[in-house]
Amino acid sequence: MKRRTFAAAIGAAPLLALNPLRAFAADGKPTTIRISFPGAGTGGRPVQGGSFPGNSHLLRAIDEEFKEDGIKIEWKFFPGAGPALNESFANGLTDFAFGHGDLPLIVGRSTGLKHKILMSSSRGGNSYFVVPAASSAKALVDLKGKRLSTFKGTAQQLTLYRWLDKFGLTEKDFRIISLDADSTLAALSTGDIDGTVRAPFDLEARGVARRIAELKDDPYISTPGSVWVGEEFEKKYPAIVQRLVTRLIKVAYWSTQEANREKQFQLWSTSGTPYLDYKKDWETTADLRNRINPLLDEYYTTSIQRSIEETKKYKLIRREVNFDGWLEPKYLNNALKELKLEDYWPQQDAQGKIKVPGRKRT
Amino acid sequence: MSVISTDPRIFKSSRIETKPARELNTRWLQPVLLQLARIAAALLLPAALLVLWQVAVDKQWMPEQILPAPGLVWQTLLELWESGDLQTHLLISASRVGWSLLIGTTVGLLFGFGMGLSRTVKAYVAPTFDVVAQFPVLGWIPILIIFAGIDEALKISAITIAVVVPVAVNTLKGIANIPRNLFEVAKVYRFTGWQVVFRVVLPSAAPSLFNGLRQAVMQAWLTLVFVELLASSEGIGYLMVWGRQLAQLDLVMVGMLVIGLVGVVLDIALRLIEAHLQRWRHSAF
Repeated sequence: MKRRTFAAAIGAAPLLALNPLRAFAADGKPTTIRISFPGAGTGGRPVQGGSFPGNSHLLRAIDEEFKEDGIKIEWKFFPGAGPALNESFANGLTDFAFGHGDLPLIVGRSTGLKHKILMSSSRGGNSYFVVPAASSAKALVDLKGKRLSTFKGTAQQLTLYRWLDKFGLTEKDFRIISLDADSTLAALSTGDIDGTVRAPFDLEARGVARRIAELKDDPYISTPGSVWVGEEFEKKYPAIVQRLVTRLIKVAYWSTQEANREKQFQLWSTSGTPYLDYKKDWETTADLRNRINPLLDEYYTTSIQRSIEETKKYKLIRREVNFDGWLEPKYLNNALKELKLEDYWPQQDAQGKIKVPGRKRT
Repeated sequence: MSVISTDPRIFKSSRIETKPARELNTRWLQPVLLQLARIAAALLLPAALLVLWQVAVDKQWMPEQILPAPGLVWQTLLELWESGDLQTHLLISASRVGWSLLIGTTVGLLFGFGMGLSRTVKAYVAPTFDVVAQFPVLGWIPILIIFAGIDEALKISAITIAVVVPVAVNTLKGIANIPRNLFEVAKVYRFTGWQVVFRVVLPSAAPSLFNGLRQAVMQAWLTLVFVELLASSEGIGYLMVWGRQLAQLDLVMVGMLVIGLVGVVLDIALRLIEAHLQRWRHSAF
């Protein structure tokens, strides 16, 4: 088996070298921009809900931006989530990531993937620990020795570990299996897993599962997602990157308007995640800017730094990762300036407290 | 191949010149050297692949995230061995295969002997068995998940199914191919039913039985890796998925190497057992 796989890989090598998908035109404009989401809707459908980069796809904002230039936008959705996005980028098939979770982002960086972080894609929110409806567990500690699921290699893995850590438990106290979102749902209803971290509302409404604990707006339980561009693309087409970032910030602004709250939940639910889950989960977010915030502020950098420490602690990376040459905030700053939004979003400090409040809404 | 064919000629010429006492020596050496030459020939292709692999890495035909260097894979193998992780995973996988082989071989032998020795059983069971044996194991997985969940029961039952079919089919074939006249001789000697089984059926069907067993072991390992890819927290297959999730492709390669090695070891072990049980056959010729 080994030899055959290897031979196939060798056979594919020249094809990769002459990759026709690396379609860069000579006149300073790419013919296509490949934008990847670290996920897909239910059953793999090409929709990503829950974030403003997702909105930029659902509203066709980026496609419109580059329509006149004849630049095609190729949207990619990976049911294999963040790790699959890393593979795609390593193979030279992705230019932009629209919201990479902390663990795969750091893992990719540790293997030598070269990208520039442009902005934060999402942050904050609530987290829920869910068990099958028939479970007798009342607290996390009751599940000791039982089977939990998470999508290993994605940001969810670290979130689960933080949950366990918070209650004085470790990953060694459980049997943790890797399941994607669809399989987790199925496994919860059949009782094949004893607990997981996910939105509970729709499941509770259908009597499938219930939450035994929730953490509201805990700045330590989740880490901001990241939007990045491949270094090669950024070096070659800085003007294109700027236009894309500016357009994305416009979408972010749209997404923070209270008038668009319901509208975007409707859009997001086309991914297959129930509308109810979005509505309830965001109910506690009075100001949408607290979760839809593109800034690379103190909270962003300390959160990622903390995640780096965690990946080292759990031995998930083998090479050092640091911020040297990783963040590229100039496009974001230009966009904020151009759109006169410099003081629009709140800036959070290292602990996640609001340090500089966002501009008063008019 | 050329290496092997030239070797005997060298010995032939040397035999003429040496004294009888040394002649014995070379005669004893000859098969050993032949064996060595055979091993060397067998290693040529893997060595060439290894070189190609190293060149592919050096020339960066593929990104380092996709194709790790052979040195790194070797280092990972050593590290995993020293930390004991590899043994733990291997032990878990081996016990899954072990249980499945035990159950699967028993069931397979029952089916095979039942159908081979009794026309009634064959009439009732064989048509159904033939149809069911056509399903590939992967086709069983969705329905097995519904009935057996995603835990050990799924793994053991899937591997067991993969084992039952080759064992039963080969047992049946082995029995069907026993020459009629052997049974006639048994009748002449007025063998009891048990005597027929132990003195006629088992010895004559043994090669086919072992063939089935070897196929079963191979199928078991293949299936194991697949089911461990599904929902697992341990085992060699899991180690490979985990490696991919963390972009540590060297872990995947280590998994492949280990599976290959274990397969070879099991195959050799079965060959030796078979050869040992069949000594009578050699002496008969």
